[in-house]
Amino acid sequence: MSWLSLLILIPFATALAVVATPDSKWYVRRWVALFGTGVVLALSLVMSVSYMQAVLQRGGDASMLTISQMEFEQSVPWFKSMGIEYHVGVDGIAMAMIVLTAIIIFTGVLASWEVKERSREFYAFLLVLVTGVFGVFISVDLFLFFLFYEVAVLPMYLLIGVWGTGRKEYSAMKLTLMLMVGSALVLVGMLALYHAAGSQTFDLNKLAMVDYSRDLQQWVFPCVFVGFGVLGALFPFHTWSPDGHASAPTAVSMLHAGVLMKLGGYGVLRVAVYLMPEGAKQWALFFLVLTTINIVYGAYAAIRQTDLKYFTAYSSVSHCGFVLFGLCSLNLMGFKGAVIQMFSHGIMTGLFFGLIGMVYGRSKTRDLTKMGGLSKRIPWLATSFYIAGLASLGLPGLSGFVAESTVFLGGFFGNPWVDSTTMRICTLLATSSIVVTAVYVLRGLSRVFQGPMTKSEFSQMQDATIPEKLCTGILVATLAVVGMYPPVLIDLIEHAIVPIANRF
Amino acid sequence: MYIQPEIIVVVTAFAVLGMEMFLPPRQRVLQTPVCLLGLSIALAAVVYLMIQGDGNFLGGQFLFDGVAGWFKVSFLLAGLLTVLLSADLLNGRFKIVPGQNRVLIHRGEFYTVVLFNLVGSMFLISATNLINLYVCLELATIPLFALVAWRRDDPLSCEAGLKYIILGATSSAVVLFGLGLLYGLSGSVDLFTMGDNLSFGPATKLAIAMVVVGVGFKLTLVPFHMWAADVYRGAPLPVAAYLSVASKAAGLAFMFQLFYRVLGNVLLDVSMALAVLAAVTMTLGNLVAVVQANVKRFMAFSAISQAGYLIMGFLDPSGAPSMVYYMLVYVVTNMVVFGVLVFYLNETGREEIEDYRGLSRTNPWIALVMMLGLFSLAGIPPLSGFVGKFFLFSVASKAGFHWLVAVAAVNSTISLYYYLRIVRQMYIEPGLGDDPPIRASASIVTALAVSTVLMVVLGIVPFFYETIYEQTHNWIAVAGIRGGMAE
Repeated sequence: MSWLSLLILIPFATALAVVATPDSKWYVRRWVALFGTGVVLALSLVMSVSYMQAVLQRGGDASMLTISQMEFEQSVPWFKSMGIEYHVGVDGIAMAMIVLTAIIIFTGVLASWEVKERSREFYAFLLVLVTGVFGVFISVDLFLFFLFYEVAVLPMYLLIGVWGTGRKEYSAMKLTLMLMVGSALVLVGMLALYHAAGSQTFDLNKLAMVDYSRDLQQWVFPCVFVGFGVLGALFPFHTWSPDGHASAPTAVSMLHAGVLMKLGGYGVLRVAVYLMPEGAKQWALFFLVLTTINIVYGAYAAIRQTDLKYFTAYSSVSHCGFVLFGLCSLNLMGFKGAVIQMFSHGIMTGLFFGLIGMVYGRSKTRDLTKMGGLSKRIPWLATSFYIAGLASLGLPGLSGFVAESTVFLGGFFGNPWVDSTTMRICTLLATSSIVVTAVYVLRGLSRVFQGPMTKSEFSQMQDATIPEKLCTGILVATLAVVGMYPPVLIDLIEHAIVPIANRF
Repeated sequence: MYIQPEIIVVVTAFAVLGMEMFLPPRQRVLQTPVCLLGLSIALAAVVYLMIQGDGNFLGGQFLFDGVAGWFKVSFLLAGLLTVLLSADLLNGRFKIVPGQNRVLIHRGEFYTVVLFNLVGSMFLISATNLINLYVCLELATIPLFALVAWRRDDPLSCEAGLKYIILGATSSAVVLFGLGLLYGLSGSVDLFTMGDNLSFGPATKLAIAMVVVGVGFKLTLVPFHMWAADVYRGAPLPVAAYLSVASKAAGLAFMFQLFYRVLGNVLLDVSMALAVLAAVTMTLGNLVAVVQANVKRFMAFSAISQAGYLIMGFLDPSGAPSMVYYMLVYVVTNMVVFGVLVFYLNETGREEIEDYRGLSRTNPWIALVMMLGLFSLAGIPPLSGFVGKFFLFSVASKAGFHWLVAVAAVNSTISLYYYLRIVRQMYIEPGLGDDPPIRASASIVTALAVSTVLMVVLGIVPFFYETIYEQTHNWIAVAGIRGGMAE
């Protein structure tokens, strides 16, 4: 059995263990969940190290490859007559995403340390959700990929609907339905590809060897791009995201913005761009413009928000735009930037949403205008918040800078299929959003943490508890490590990106 | 002999009827286990025959093959689960609510009628003669009229029965006309000879249209679905459950017989019409289901939309295994949901969607089972409904109907919306008060456990689909569809 299967078995087994805990002992569950996710985190780190070793050992000249090289592969026939296999394996991109997911879920459990209400179902659904996410990242078989993709979306409905706040039922339904319509589009596209390739296999790498006709790619590419793009908050299909994030409980927001939205970008890269280079060339300009709007619109929308969660959600829309923007630039640099941005934004936004949950738990309000002077009482949380904010506006030394600068470089290099002037204008517009980001982040944070204390109750606040310190500490440390020493991430993903970029 | 399962079911039916006549009322409780035993033996016999391989009986008038075997498995499963689900009502275990008539009487006759209906369906898929086929179709339909109107003193039940019988008789007449035309065009009543002789022409088109009307009635294809909601609402709930699966499976069996054996040569000429029919059926079923407040009517429209997905399998010759598989999946999945509905209606007398609020707090396991059942109907992985739908969609995609795949996939999303309405009541809405947990009877628990396990296993263990694929593969080769299976 491949080690990869453990990545889905452990969270699922943990979910079952949580269900089996006795009614009276809610506090046991969080320890069970923490233990399970801790094991997964350790496993993912060990695996990424051994992945690097495997890549080095393999040696050879990888610069001419056009098919992704998978490690830890395992393939068991499943529905043989359809050519469906339980085929798992990872390349560097998937490995980075797995580490990201493991970090976010571990810290997510820490952030939901105080969930008492129906905690059995809460942890169980959360872990099932994570099982789905890991499943997507380890799948090489497209059927398996799609299966896990849907598994990852559904528990969200209940997690938001039951434990959320505000207009939770509306948000939960909106989110679920929009994402499912997206996956419907993906399904149409992937079945078309499967039959065009001879109805023999769903193996991504085998599908990638087929030359699809131009006509097919022309309509399947936008289907798949938009289908995954919905989850990646592609403008104008991002509207589920602010509502969903605002209503979700803390750990779910973290997981959703941190990891689930990355599934969108990952799907676009793995399925749309990888399998249909011709389609990508034809549609590059169109989606480039859309993603530029994404970036700029998200940033401007964030300025207007007064609710901390909406504020972060719109900033997420803007930052996820960078991921898709990088993918649309169709060159090595752009892809690399997109993947780094996926990782970096995942950690950053996880930190943001975790902190919002912690602050909200103390202040009982998320309204920016009602808060003030909190840093005097909660210095740890305030400092972490500032670090997250600085990462989000791309301060050198934190991971956001690495990611965004790579994306901009990719955009500026351009590609032969889009007019270079248009490309540069789009890149400039996208770059300008950094300034807007600085405006809203600094204004927002200073309103919450600086100045006089607006309410007397705030003076009773306690600073972070130990689980909270651990949670924020891990995330901040990750941001700093990637920011100070980017090769730790870039080396991991580089080998995996080259084959995809070589297809163009 | 390949007719043992049918004989066993008939013998069981008469045994139960005999018990009704000769046993004192108190001992008639035994009819339920006898019935279950008979059906289980029949099921075992079918499985045994399937392992033995194909064969025929009565000089080729009765054909047992892989497809027939799988259909019989579906029918018998539906029968078994229906017997289990109706046990509580027949035992008088239900909450009496003023204004609601919930009594189910005449245990022995009830089971006998169900079993006869079952036998009709089982013969239907094995018949090789047009006249047998029609008689079997009638036997698979007429007992249902009686079952729907079983509560003679309940106006709703009688109204449902009347509606069903009028529409049923009309559609039977139209089918008969269609079959007559086919006979005239081909000059034979043997299905295989008919298939060889038939060619495409205006009269064939008319015949196909007429046959589709009849099948449409049984499968609840739009626009022949009008009876469904009222009949489901009026019929005793276990009967509605049986109707939703067994009657549909019988309709599909009839369609298999005609479409593959008789119309095999011309099937691809009408695929556009079938695609439109499928699209209209699923869309209308789903859209109307969204606004339903009563769970019975809700399930009626859900069943209509499922029929729309089901017939997508006819668009490509390779679709037969997907349809047989989905039928099996649909039987167990729908029985999971109906099992919970029967349970809840019996124990509390509630049948509106809003009444399900808070079920996850009082009965977490039942709520979980219900949620899984609904998700499987909506096609959420890793449940078998997902795999089944995926294969059906794949058939449509293979035939080049990409627009239909899109319509179907969007429809799945719409269906998810209304299935989530129940999930929302169960999980999100606060309960009606401090209700104590509701105890479920042994029969309900058994039915739910069996169908839930099957529902999950069918989607994960590839054995079932692969076996169906192999056996159906041969079947299509014998039927000689133009184009044949993709290989």
